[in-house]
Amino acid sequence: MNLDGRKYVIIIVTLLVGIIYSMRLFYMQVVDETWTLRAQEIAEKRKEITPPRGVLFDRNKRKIVSNRTYFNLMMKESEMKNFDTVAFAKLIGWTREEVRERFKEIVKGEGTYRNKHTGVRSSNYQKIRAYPFLKEMTLEEIATIAAHLEDFPGFYEEVTSMRSYPYANGANIVGYLSEVYREEIDEDPFYKPGNNMGRAGLERFYENELRGRKGIKYIVTSALNNAIESYADGKYDTIAKQGPPLNLGIDIILQAYGEKLLANKRGCIVAIEPATGEILALVSAPTYDPNLFIGKRNISKNYPKLLADPSKPLYPRPLAAEYPPGSTFKLLNSLIGLQEGVITPESGFPCNKSVVGCHNHPSAGNLADAIKHSCNPYFYAVTRKILQQNKEKSVFHDAEIGLNIWAKYMHSFGLGHNLETDITGLRPGSIPDANYYDKWYGHHRWAFSTIRSISIGQGEVMLTPLQMANIAAIIANRGWYYTPHFVKSIGSDGPLEQFRKKHYSMVDAKHYSVIVEGMRRVVHEGGGTGRRARLKDIIVCGKTGTVQNPHGDDHSVFVAFAPMYKPKIAIAVFIENAKGGGGLWAAPTAGLMIEKYLTRKIMEKDREKTILEANFSGIK
Amino acid sequence: MRKGESIVAHFDWALFVVYIILLIMGVSTVYSTAYNEDHPNLFDFSQKYGKQVLWVGFSLFLGLLVFLIDSDIYRKFSIPIYLFTLILLVVVLFMPPVNGARAWLGIGSLGIQPAEFSKIGTALLLARFISSVNIKQQNVRTVILANAIILIPMVMVLLQPDAGTFVVFTSFLFVMYREGITYDPIILKMLNSIPGIKFKETWVGTHFIPLLFIVVFLSLVTLLMSNETLTFETFPDLKIPGFGIVMMSLTILAILSFLVLRFISSRRDRNRVVLIVIIGFILASGLVSTVNFGFQSLAEHQKDRIELFLGLKEDPDGEDYNRNRAMAAVGSGGFLGKGYNKASVSSVESNHVPESETDFIFCPFAEEWGFIGTIIFIVLYMFMLLRILFIAERQRSSFNRIYAYSVAMILFYHFAINIGMNIGFAPVIGIPLPFFSYGGSSMMSFSMMMFILLKLDSQRREDLQ
Repeated sequence: MNLDGRKYVIIIVTLLVGIIYSMRLFYMQVVDETWTLRAQEIAEKRKEITPPRGVLFDRNKRKIVSNRTYFNLMMKESEMKNFDTVAFAKLIGWTREEVRERFKEIVKGEGTYRNKHTGVRSSNYQKIRAYPFLKEMTLEEIATIAAHLEDFPGFYEEVTSMRSYPYANGANIVGYLSEVYREEIDEDPFYKPGNNMGRAGLERFYENELRGRKGIKYIVTSALNNAIESYADGKYDTIAKQGPPLNLGIDIILQAYGEKLLANKRGCIVAIEPATGEILALVSAPTYDPNLFIGKRNISKNYPKLLADPSKPLYPRPLAAEYPPGSTFKLLNSLIGLQEGVITPESGFPCNKSVVGCHNHPSAGNLADAIKHSCNPYFYAVTRKILQQNKEKSVFHDAEIGLNIWAKYMHSFGLGHNLETDITGLRPGSIPDANYYDKWYGHHRWAFSTIRSISIGQGEVMLTPLQMANIAAIIANRGWYYTPHFVKSIGSDGPLEQFRKKHYSMVDAKHYSVIVEGMRRVVHEGGGTGRRARLKDIIVCGKTGTVQNPHGDDHSVFVAFAPMYKPKIAIAVFIENAKGGGGLWAAPTAGLMIEKYLTRKIMEKDREKTILEANFSGIK
Repeated sequence: MRKGESIVAHFDWALFVVYIILLIMGVSTVYSTAYNEDHPNLFDFSQKYGKQVLWVGFSLFLGLLVFLIDSDIYRKFSIPIYLFTLILLVVVLFMPPVNGARAWLGIGSLGIQPAEFSKIGTALLLARFISSVNIKQQNVRTVILANAIILIPMVMVLLQPDAGTFVVFTSFLFVMYREGITYDPIILKMLNSIPGIKFKETWVGTHFIPLLFIVVFLSLVTLLMSNETLTFETFPDLKIPGFGIVMMSLTILAILSFLVLRFISSRRDRNRVVLIVIIGFILASGLVSTVNFGFQSLAEHQKDRIELFLGLKEDPDGEDYNRNRAMAAVGSGGFLGKGYNKASVSSVESNHVPESETDFIFCPFAEEWGFIGTIIFIVLYMFMLLRILFIAERQRSSFNRIYAYSVAMILFYHFAINIGMNIGFAPVIGIPLPFFSYGGSSMMSFSMMMFILLKLDSQRREDLQ
């Protein structure tokens, strides 16, 4: 038998395997990319480093929102050894059952994963992964535990950053942070589970600025998920960058003072620097301590409580509450009348109480005095002249044209639409136009007499306190305004583009002086309705308002600015259900605020005491 | 040994040098893979690389001992050696199991694996049996006895259980095939017992072993490739299924072998070579297509079962964990590799590839040195195997030749299976890569095997023709 050929069979088989393997290696290592990507997936982890959020300063560089270090107590089951539940429970001050419950909770809560496409939540708990066992502990809290953690392998502390509020004021302005939801993570790849996000106020509006830039570290990890070394010596890493600080126009001292004045009341104070449109104070009463909303534990404890509170402390009244402006609205009707040429500063109208009720005062012979006395019949007459200009024969057609002209003027005062203020939760208020009343009464079925209550800022006219303050600013500027805003500068950049644009009202500057003079008389002349806002050495120009409230006591309103020349502050004060008119409560409050802002001290101690002691909250 | 002649007079330096090169590559890979920053010294015996160096030193010392002993002893004492390794295989079954197998004799890291040494015993006895005078290859009794020699240790290692070594023992069938001992006599006997049939030889029966090997190998490759798809970043629509890659590779292989064989064959053989390549290509394509489309046409649950058996499961972190991670390590090496000591997937520290210093040692090597490294490795290994086959064919005594073939085939099997499972061409069967993997038993047994071969070869001239 010739067996010699068989050696070739064996050589061929051997070579065949060698050649096929070489081809395979060429394919795997050089041609096919799959395995390189798979290796990255396996061994390289992108670790994101969340920077601390940008901090907030007030106009005098006082830090009003800053960051504070907190600690999470992390657990990794794979590293736990001889876990003594009893001792651990004792250490953290829990019961044994609570500790066991928490373990179950982690597996069923944090340890699950919701499929983006199907929405099905499935278990993704991994023993080699770290989960927070206790979250957001202060240094004092962790200090007592940390000393004993070496007895509990698998447990360790981890640093996290959260907000702190050195001044417990301005909660409705700054807003708060809370953990992102799954949907938000899906929407924006910036967020990872456990990250925080601004939920209201400036934290929400400036979220993209404040959150900063995440740092990314590429690391080589082991099968147990431990970092081994940085990938490619950190060549591709980026450094986390803290968000820029926000410099606010808010004067935190004034803000705090305003909150103090409105204690036990419901209402608002909005103060604006007329020259810039910067909001100096925005008080919403009642309010809450922003420190109640630091961290998940606090939020879940306090949020439902505050939400259920009938006085609505979470409701940002200055931005969202729409009130009739009352008599303060007469200022605008006067300005429109002057611009339209239907009245002059010297126009006089009798105080005819048969038309509408008024208080006792001599009939006004000119516009300034009419403002001083806040004469209702006078402003009925003014508004009638605006609305019924006899451009059409039919009184109904005429009123339609007149009202639309009027509404256009009102829009130019920033009313009837949202101001583009840098905060969320703004409401537009309401300025009725012809369409509006057509829906109510039918086309050409209404005239001035039907809708006359808009003359005195009642009826269908609605303003937010922010808009009221802005009107004070417009008058202070004699005809223009910058959109009121909170943020003066983001880091070193100036305010947003929209706050650098001057908005002019449709009323010429020359018509304002008489209004300003009338407002001076309101405060500084005998018989003026706003004399309780009077200050020594500072000329305050203001206008009172008393808003009739079908549900209870009248609301007390006051808009003002000061000083009369080169005004530094424009203010609107709105106090709900105050037992008395605008002159009684809102005017002195505004006066105190102006005094506080301009002089930093309060001379009118009695006035301050009266306001502080007043209680309109309905709770004694 | 003739007087005055050096002990290394007819020493095969080429094989020895390849062996040493592989040892150095192996130790350096173990060093890089198991590298511990706190113990950077290669000779730190608390570390795996330190131990490996120790094993290498010990193996070389054993090799020297082997060289000092007259080569005749292996033939003479083949039966006691075989029996001794068998006894060890029995004793090991009474040892406490390590990782689920009773494979270790001794305590901890000082233990040995008798299965590794039983290959030597079997190789020696098989060589002695087949080379003994009065052996008729075509005799059914010869076939049965030769098979019994390998079957007994096979059963013993299966009891441990050690499937890898079990498969490796089938490499002896190639040795028997070379020596003319095939299953043909048994098949003939059965066929001829049917009245009216009278065969002298069946072609399939004669070449059953290499045929079976090629069929199993190609089928495995086809099946394991069936869940791979080649995609290109630049042409995302172009997707080549695994079957297409197999067919393309076969075509390239056929063209290459056609050109090479045409060049080296004589004018007389040229037509025959062309015919063989064409027939081989058609047969291989037919086999691959049958396996592929046969597999595709199977019902889902049957497919699942086969995929489960092959370790082909979709979840890369589940059933297919080891193979998938090993392939990621090898594939991510790229053309030039990540650089020495830069393996990110397969270092022991990262632990993504289990057993990366033993059975999966090829992973860190391929990851660190890339295709340049792996092709050099394959060429070296191929050279070593062909050199052993060359040595085998130059022996005067059939004992030497059979033993040399045994060594070549055992090493070939280890190479084929071990590299195969690292590159996704073989199911994961835990067997070491000779001269590379960390481990004392395999290092010593393969070295002894090699030195016995070198010794027999150096004394080949003293044997009777």
